[in-house]
Amino acid sequence: MISGKYLLRRLGYSGASFFVCITITFFLLHLMPGDYITNYLLSLSNTIPQATVDQFRHQFGLDLPITDQYILYIVNILHGQWGYSYAYGQPVFSMITEKLSWSLIIVVPATVLGILIGIIIGAWSGWKSGGKKDLALFNIMIVIRAIPEFWWAIMAVLVFSFYLRWFPLGGFSSISVLSSGLSIPDLLYHAILPIALMTFFIATGNYYVMRNSMIAVIGEDYITTARAKGLDERSILWRHALKNALLPMVTITTFQCAAIIMGNVFIETVFSWPGIGFLTTEALNNRDLPLLEGIFLLDSLMTICAMLLADIFSSIIDPRIRMGNDE
Amino acid sequence: MSRRAILWVGIVVLFIYIVIAIAAPLIAPQGPNAITGKPLQPPDNNHPFGTNQVGQDIFSQLVFGTRITLLYGFFAAFLAVVISTSVGIVIGYYGGIIDEIVCRVIDVVMPIPMFVLLIVLTTFFSPGVVQVSLLMGLLSSIQGIRVMRSQVLAVARTNFVEGARAIGASDFRIMSRHILPNVSSLVMVKFVSSSQQLLLMGVGLSFIGMWDTTTVDWGTMIQNAYSQGGMALGLWWWILPPGIAVIGISVALGMIGYSFEEKFNPRVAVNRI
Repeated sequence: MISGKYLLRRLGYSGASFFVCITITFFLLHLMPGDYITNYLLSLSNTIPQATVDQFRHQFGLDLPITDQYILYIVNILHGQWGYSYAYGQPVFSMITEKLSWSLIIVVPATVLGILIGIIIGAWSGWKSGGKKDLALFNIMIVIRAIPEFWWAIMAVLVFSFYLRWFPLGGFSSISVLSSGLSIPDLLYHAILPIALMTFFIATGNYYVMRNSMIAVIGEDYITTARAKGLDERSILWRHALKNALLPMVTITTFQCAAIIMGNVFIETVFSWPGIGFLTTEALNNRDLPLLEGIFLLDSLMTICAMLLADIFSSIIDPRIRMGNDE
Repeated sequence: MSRRAILWVGIVVLFIYIVIAIAAPLIAPQGPNAITGKPLQPPDNNHPFGTNQVGQDIFSQLVFGTRITLLYGFFAAFLAVVISTSVGIVIGYYGGIIDEIVCRVIDVVMPIPMFVLLIVLTTFFSPGVVQVSLLMGLLSSIQGIRVMRSQVLAVARTNFVEGARAIGASDFRIMSRHILPNVSSLVMVKFVSSSQQLLLMGVGLSFIGMWDTTTVDWGTMIQNAYSQGGMALGLWWWILPPGIAVIGISVALGMIGYSFEEKFNPRVAVNRI
C-alpha cells in the first residue's frame, strides 16, 4: 500500500510545479510592455486626468509593492479570478469554461475509442512481434506519426468534405440552426470527421506504448514459466502477458484524460470547432496574453494533477514503483 | 528495405533539403515576399506552383521556406542536445548535492505542459525565428537531461573512468574525452529524433499563427492556403506542396532516427519521450 510520506512528498512537488506556473504567468503579465490601465483608458478618451489613473491603479492593486501584488495574484488564481482577456474584455476563466463543453463533445469519444483501439492493435502487434504483419504495421505507424496532425486533418477535409462531399467543411452546425435550432443529428454530422481523426491519432500514439510494453513483458521469465507449465498461448496472452503489459498504460491513459480538458488545438483549428483548442489559436492570433495564460494555467493544473494521480495509481497497482530510485 | 537502405534513403533526402536551403536564392525565381503576378494563378511556366492570394510565387516561397523550417528544427534540436548532454554529464559525473538539486528542479518543472508554455512565451517575446528556436531548445532540453544523466551514471562507474582518474586526469578531461565519446551514440539518436519532433512542433506552431506575415515557412504557407480559400476553391497546387515538403523531411528524419536507434540499441537504452 502507498505510504503517507511518499504521498506527502508527491503532493509537495505538484504544489511546487503549480506555483512555478503561477509565478511565470505573474511575471510575464508584469513585464509586458505598456501599462494595461493607461492603454485601456486611452481607448476610452484622449486625455486622462492623473487622478483617474491613480484611482484605477489603486482599484487594480497596481500601487501595492510587487510582493503584495504577487500574493494577491495567487489568491485571485485560487479563487478562480484569472484576469480579463484583452481581445474580448471578458473574464478568462468563464471564457474557458464556456468552450469546455464543445471540446468535450469531440474529445471524450475520441479518447475512449482511441485508447481502446490503440491497446488492442498494440497488444496484438507486440504479441506477434518480429512477424511480417507486425513489422508492416509498425512501419506504417512510423510514417503516420511522421506526418503532422493538422496535415491529416486538412487532407481528410479535402478528400471527404471537398471532393466526396460526405461531411461539412467545418464548423459545428448547419445554417439551418438559425431557423430550427441546434439538433443532435446535425451536430453529430459535423463532429464525426474530427472525432474519427482524433481517434486515429490517439490510437497510433497508444499503439507504440502498448507494443513496446508487450514486447518487454513477453521477454520476462514468468512468461517462459507459463509456457513451460504447458499453458496454451491464449491463456498466457490474456492472463499473464496482457495484464502486466497494461501497467504503463495507466500513466498514459491518465494523461490523455487530462488532455481532454484542453481539446485538440490542431483538429479544432482545421475544423473550426469552437472548443478550447480553437480558442488557443484565436488568442495566439490576437496576441491575447491573459487568455493564453489562463489556458496555460488550466492545462498545467490538469497535467500536474494527472501526473500525481498516475503516480498514485501505479504505485498502488505495482508496489515496485517508488519515487527517487531512478538510478 | 534493410536498415542500411533506410538509413541511406533518409540521408540522401535530408541532403537534398539542405542543399535547397543553402542554394535557395539560386533555385527560387523570385523572393519569398515579392509580388510577381496576378493573385491565385494556376501553375504555368513562370510560376511552377501558381501564385497565392496576393500574387506571390508559391514555388519561391516553398524554396525559401526550407531555410526557415530547417533552421528552427535543427537549431532548436542542437541547442536541446547540447544543454541536456552537458548538464547530464556534469550532474551524472559529480553526483552529490548538485545532482540532487538539478533532479529536484526537473521534478518540479517536468509536469509543466511545454506546448502551451511555448505559445505563451512566444506571444510575450516578439516571435522571431531565433527566439522561438531558443525557447524550443531550452524547454525540450529539460526532458533530455534525465535520459543523459542515467546513461552517464552507468559510464561514470566503469573501470576505465576510475583508471583515468587514478593516473591523474582532470575532471574536465574525463568528462570530455572519456564519458562524452561513450554517450555520443545516444546524443546522435537524441539529436535526430528531437530535430524531427521540434521541426514538426515549429511547423504546427506556425500553422496556428505564431509568426508575423513576413516570415514564410511551410507552416505559414499551409495555414495561408487553408484559411485564404485554397481549400474552398480546391486549389491543390497551393496547399499540397508545403505539406508534402514537411512530410518528406519528417519521414526522412524518422528513417534516420529509426535506423540509428536499431543500430545503437544493444548498447544504449533509448527512452522514447
